[in-house]
Amino acid sequence: MQNNQLSEPSEKQPLQQLLSRPDIWQLASQQRQLRTGISTGYRGLDALLSNRGWPRGATSELLLDKGGIGEISLILPTLAEMTRQNRMVVLIAPPHIPYAPALVQAGVRLEKLLILHPRGQRDQLWAAEQSLQSGACGALVSWQGKENPADKDLRRLQIAAREGDCLHFHFRPGSCASAPSPASLRLQLRSDGEQLAIQLLKQLNGRSGQRVHLPRSPNLTRRDQPLH
Amino acid sequence: MLWLCIQLPKLPLEALTRAHRAGDTVPLAVTQSNLVIEANLAAGNHNIEPGLSIATACAYCAELQLLERDSEREEQLLRQLAQWAYSFTPVVSPRSAEQSKSQQDNNPACLYLELSGSLKAHGGLAPLLLQLGKELHKMRVTHFMGLGHSPSAAHLLSQLPEHRQWLAETGTAPSPQQWRQWISFAPSKLLDCSNKAIAKLYASGIKRVSQLLAIPLSEVGNRFGRNFIDYLARLNGTRPDPVASYQPAPEFHSELFFPSPLDNSEQLLFPAGRLVRELCRQLQRRQLYSPQLCWVLNFGSRGTQEVNVALSRPLFDPQRLIALTKLQLERVELPEPVQALGLKCQQLRPLEAQSLREDFFDEGSTLHDTYQLIDKLKARLGHQALSGVTLKESYLPEQAWASADSLTLQSRQRGHQLAPVSAPRPSWLLSRPDKIHQRDHRLFYDGELQLLQGPERIDGYWWQHHRHARDYYIARSEQGSLYWVFQDLTSEEWYLHGVYS
Repeated sequence: MQNNQLSEPSEKQPLQQLLSRPDIWQLASQQRQLRTGISTGYRGLDALLSNRGWPRGATSELLLDKGGIGEISLILPTLAEMTRQNRMVVLIAPPHIPYAPALVQAGVRLEKLLILHPRGQRDQLWAAEQSLQSGACGALVSWQGKENPADKDLRRLQIAAREGDCLHFHFRPGSCASAPSPASLRLQLRSDGEQLAIQLLKQLNGRSGQRVHLPRSPNLTRRDQPLH
Repeated sequence: MLWLCIQLPKLPLEALTRAHRAGDTVPLAVTQSNLVIEANLAAGNHNIEPGLSIATACAYCAELQLLERDSEREEQLLRQLAQWAYSFTPVVSPRSAEQSKSQQDNNPACLYLELSGSLKAHGGLAPLLLQLGKELHKMRVTHFMGLGHSPSAAHLLSQLPEHRQWLAETGTAPSPQQWRQWISFAPSKLLDCSNKAIAKLYASGIKRVSQLLAIPLSEVGNRFGRNFIDYLARLNGTRPDPVASYQPAPEFHSELFFPSPLDNSEQLLFPAGRLVRELCRQLQRRQLYSPQLCWVLNFGSRGTQEVNVALSRPLFDPQRLIALTKLQLERVELPEPVQALGLKCQQLRPLEAQSLREDFFDEGSTLHDTYQLIDKLKARLGHQALSGVTLKESYLPEQAWASADSLTLQSRQRGHQLAPVSAPRPSWLLSRPDKIHQRDHRLFYDGELQLLQGPERIDGYWWQHHRHARDYYIARSEQGSLYWVFQDLTSEEWYLHGVYS
C-alpha cells in the first residue's frame, strides 16, 4: 500500500514536468493560452506571438537592413509603458541621438531612460549583461556594432535577461537571419511601401513563418499639406 | 572631565609599514642619524632594538631592511588618527612626537580624548575603551592608554603599568583620590619634562612624585623654573590644563605607504580594503556620506594619479565599495610602481534621514538595484559613458533636447514641465545635419527622396548673428525609410536632420 502511494505521484511527475517545460509546444493549449508576454501595443502582432506579447525575460531579435522603416515605433509603446511603471529603460549604443520631444510624445518618462555609450564590443556586452541581470531594468535595447557577437555571448545575454526578468530588444542586420541564434523571438523587419512588414522567423513554443503588416502613423504619411 | 591619553610609541615604524599584511616577516628597522629608533617584531627576534647603530644592527641581521624615518608621514598618520578619534568625541587633541637634539629625549606622539561627553552614546566607559582598542588594532597601530582628570595626568598615568593593568581589568573611571595616589606613587622619571630636569630630580634624591609634591612649591620653583611648577599644578588638578583642540575638516583623508612599491594594480586591493573599512566606520559614526571616493596612487617623485569612483547614493558597505573600486583599478595601467595609496573624500555630506528612508522603504529594492547598477556602470565605463535626456525649450530642433546626468533617475518628483511641440518629431536626431544631394530639383539620399509633408517653417534667432531659417519636410526614401529633412532658406541647401524610425 505504502509503496503504491509513494510511486503514484512520482509516476505522474515526469509527464507534468515535461509538459510544463517552456520549450515544449502543445497544440491543445494554443487556444486557451492566456497572455503571459508583454503586450506589444499592436493587436495584429500580439495575435501572432505565442505569449500574446513580447516574451518576458528573454531576447527578441529584430533584424533589419535599413533604419527609418518604423522599427523604433514597433517597440516604443512597450518602452513607454515600462517607464510609466517606474522601471528603467536602457539604450546601449543607439545609432543616433534619441530625440527627447518624440520620446515624450510617445509617453516615455525621460527620467527613467538611461543611455550608455560603451567603447568597444567587450564593454558593450559587459554593460548589457550587467544591466539585464541587475533586476533594475524593465527593458534594454541594444544595437549590434560592426562585429558579429559570438553565439556564446548571445546566449549569455539571453540568460542574463531571464535572471533579471528584463525585456531585451536586439537590433541586428538582416544578414544575420540565416545564422542560428539563441534568441527566444526573431523578427525580420522590412518596409513595404508605407507599412512595416514583419516576418516571424522563430519563436519558442510557437509557430513561425507568419507575416503581419503594421501601417505607419498617418500623421507621418498623409499628404494633406501642399508640397514644396 | 575625563581625559584619555592614547600613546602611540611605534608611530615612526607604523607610518611606514602599516600597509603590510599581518604576519609579514621581513625584519625592518627605522633609522635616524645612523641609529635604529624602532624595529619590527621580526627584527626584534634578531636582538635589534632602538639605540643600536646601523652598523651593529646590520651585523646582527644581514637581511635587515632599513627605512629612513619620515616625520612628515608620521604627522600625517597622527592627523588621520585624530580624524578617526573625532568620530568618537568632539574634543580631540593630537600631540606629535617631540624630537630634541639628544636622541634619548624622545617623547612618542599621543592623542588626548575627552570622554565624559560621549560615554552615553557608546554605552559606557568599558565598551568605549574596548571599541577604541579594537579599531586601533585593526588599523595596526600599537598603543597604550591612560585615564586621568586632566590631559597631563592621563599622560603620566598611561605610562604607569599598574594603572594600565587596572584599566584593562576594570574598565571603570577611578575616583579622584585614586588618581592622586597613583600620581604620587609614580616614579619621577615618568614626568613630562626634559631628561635634564629628570636627571636633576634624581640627583636630588627625588625618585617618586610624592617626594616632589612634599617640597614647598616656592623651592621647587627656584630650582626647576616656573614652567615646572605650572606643570605640577596641572598634574594635580589645581590649575586648568588646556590642550589645543583639533577641528577636522569635513573630509576624509588616509594614506598607506608601501616601503617596497607595488607594481601590480591587483595588489592594491588589499590596502584599498583597509582604507575603505576605516572610511566606512568613521562616516557611519559622524553621520556623513561621501558622493565619491578619490583614490590617489602615489608614484613617489614621479607624481600621482587619481582614480575616482562615483557613488549615486549613501553607501556604507565596504564590500560594495571595494567591488566598485576593483572595477576601476582593473582598468588602470600602472606607469610606475605605487609607493603609497591614498583615499580622499573631500565633500562629505550630512546624511539626511530622508535619503535613507527612500533607500530602504520607498519602492523597495528596485531603486536600490538601480543605484547599484549605475554605480557599477560608472565605475567600469566611466562617468561620460552614461547619460540621460531631457527636454529644453527652444525653437531650434537641435536645441529642444539636452543631455542630462544619469542621476536624474533619482529625482522622481521633478517631472518635465515642458511640453513638446505637437508636430510629429522623429525618434532619432542626427548629431549634425547630413547634406542631401540635389540634382534637377530632385533630392537624393540613398536613392531619390519623395517629400510627403511640409513645410514646417522654423525661423528662430533671426535677431542673432546666425539666422536659422529652415523649412522642414517629412520625406520618404526609395527603401521606405521616413526622414526629417529641411531646406536652409539662406543657402537653399537641403539637409537630413532626423529619422522617423
